[in-house]
Amino acid sequence: MNAGPALEVRGLSIKFGDFTAVDDVSFSVKRGEIFGFLGANGAGKTTTIRMLCGLLLPTSGSATVGGLDFSDGGKGIKGKVGYMSQKFTLYNDLTVGENLDFAAGLRKLSPAYALRRRRELFDLIAFDSPLSTMVSSLPGGVKQELSLAAAMLHDPEIVFLDEPTAGVSPASRARFWALIRKVTELGKTVIVTTHYMDEAEQCGRIALMRTGKLIALGSPAELKGAAFPGPMVELDFNGPAPAAALGGLGKAAGLLELSPHGMRWHAAFRDRPAMEAALAALPPGASRAVIEPSLEDVFIRLVEGAER
Amino acid sequence: MKRTLLAFIRKEFAQALRDPRMKLILFVMPMIQMTVFGLALSSEIKNIKLASVYAPSDAAARRLAQRFTASGWFLPVAAEGLAPEDLVVSGAADAALVFPAGGFARQAARGRGGVQLLVDGTSVTRARSVEAYARAIFAAHAAAEAGLPVSAAPFGFDVRIIYNPEMESPVFMVPGVMGMIVCLVTIILTSMSLTRERELGTFETIVSAPLENYEILLGKTLPYIVLGLANAALVIAAGFFIFGVPVRGDLWRLFSAALAFVITTVSVGTLISTVSKNQQQAMLGGFIFLFPAVLMSGIMYPVENMPALLKPVVYANPLYYFTTLLRNILLKGGDHAVFVFNMSALAAMAVAAGAAAYGRFRQTLN
Ligand SMILES: Nc1ncnc2c1ncn2[C@@H]1O[C@H](COP(=O)(O)OP(=O)(O)O)[C@@H](O)[C@H]1O
Ligand SMILES: [Mg+2]
Repeated sequence: MNAGPALEVRGLSIKFGDFTAVDDVSFSVKRGEIFGFLGANGAGKTTTIRMLCGLLLPTSGSATVGGLDFSDGGKGIKGKVGYMSQKFTLYNDLTVGENLDFAAGLRKLSPAYALRRRRELFDLIAFDSPLSTMVSSLPGGVKQELSLAAAMLHDPEIVFLDEPTAGVSPASRARFWALIRKVTELGKTVIVTTHYMDEAEQCGRIALMRTGKLIALGSPAELKGAAFPGPMVELDFNGPAPAAALGGLGKAAGLLELSPHGMRWHAAFRDRPAMEAALAALPPGASRAVIEPSLEDVFIRLVEGAER
Repeated sequence: MKRTLLAFIRKEFAQALRDPRMKLILFVMPMIQMTVFGLALSSEIKNIKLASVYAPSDAAARRLAQRFTASGWFLPVAAEGLAPEDLVVSGAADAALVFPAGGFARQAARGRGGVQLLVDGTSVTRARSVEAYARAIFAAHAAAEAGLPVSAAPFGFDVRIIYNPEMESPVFMVPGVMGMIVCLVTIILTSMSLTRERELGTFETIVSAPLENYEILLGKTLPYIVLGLANAALVIAAGFFIFGVPVRGDLWRLFSAALAFVITTVSVGTLISTVSKNQQQAMLGGFIFLFPAVLMSGIMYPVENMPALLKPVVYANPLYYFTTLLRNILLKGGDHAVFVFNMSALAAMAVAAGAAAYGRFRQTLN
């Protein structure tokens, strides 16, 4: 295994007709990293991953995956990566065993090797139902874990997971993320897309995407620091916020961001003095607490910043 | 390569044999179609309701009319009260035999013994049989009553009757139905199966493996070629047991004809899937191909009677060659020259369709 980056992407773009789905995206991913793509639906996460797995031909730009480029039509790369698409990767009308046998056949694995890998992966995902179980009868979370096992049957260095936890229960989501960490402990690189903020928090680094562009890149802490250099307060007016108070706050000097979160409001300031000045002007009934900005705050700020 | 193909074959068979809808399309529908089409064609061609319109005193006309009834194909119905044309239009009769008003024998003696036959053309198959029967009866009658001038019949001559001299229509028609069923099953199943993979997203998993185009294409088509051949065997057996359609020719000829045909239709199904976004579109595409293929195959309308403009379509139609081969091999025992010509045409089509499918097939999703 060489020591270069797992992924090196330079100016990757793709157009469908006139529409630019991914626009000049560059980044690199270290080996063993959990690298997340965060973005709303249609941001271009799936399209980016598909290009990196050799399923879509980019309009321009270049990429190396696992140290290989696409000059051989992607054959070499396809051998090194595992891909779990955002749609079904398993056949509901086949049994667990039939699905894994097919996955092994696609990768031309020898029966002995496939058997060994299957045992290892069943251990990893703690799967103990019989091989003759129909996939359609498995709960959603187990299906996703089994999809991951199928995508890793050929022991890839890099695993691409496109919204692996879409539509499964919160408990199953937590289980799946524990699994992702175990996969990286085995030395694999994981590239994962999500639109759940709590999942993004668990990534080593996050690429924030919006309308095909990469608008921010960094660890969760770096992104928070960059978006909110000063403090953030959570305001609770114990009921609907008085219009006058909000209006005053909105015009306060040094305010970076004011956004509603349920019944509460988050206000971010350039620095502590600006915050203190603004808060002094608020009616006394409102409770206030300095908080750590969440990734959701970062997302709102950066996406709205991009829109301004 | 071998491992991948085997994996595909196992997967497709497991899916096809587990899915009740697929089982229906593969095994139940062909049997129903064979029985219904075959029976409809066979029972329809007997019991043709015939109204004979002649003066009660016209003995010569009565003799000819009786010959029609005696043939066993026609059932006499009363001709009184309505004009001959209205009898047919109203459905009271399938055909009306109209003798000259002045008496058949007398007009015949003057060289004007033209008998008019009005045939209900709603069912072309049936009308064609009526035509063919009437011609045969006229000829027999003219021979029996020498001297009666029977002018050239006012309808075209169906040369294909020579394959089927007994005019046992089911035996002649059933090979056409067989070809039609194999065509339908293979095209619909292949195009739907490939489109379904795209729709479900499992196609992405397949193409994310480092495979060559031809490996994926063979993997997705070989199982359907095998299923198509099994289907052909099934309908040929059904034809034998239900309608007594013989298998007079060599099995290897039958097998090579079926193989070339199934390769062609499976390739067409693959082509349809490359332009379909979902299974409904694939189904629609399949039928858009099937309608002209069936109409222009000589199964229902004799090719000889088609306008010259449409004949090139017939000669580009794989179903035409397959039906011709089936009739030739099953009924005639496989005339070698006919076999070689039609088989070459079909093999060329299999190669062309396979190459087109290969050329259109993409592993990328762009
Ligand atoms: N094959 C395609 N043809 C045309 N447009 C596409 C195609 N694939 C994706 N798109 C468009 O590209 C945009 C990005 O899609 P996608 O990458 O799926 O977003 P995400 O995964 O972030 O939700 C969307 O607007 C989508 O409609
Ligand atoms: Mg997506």
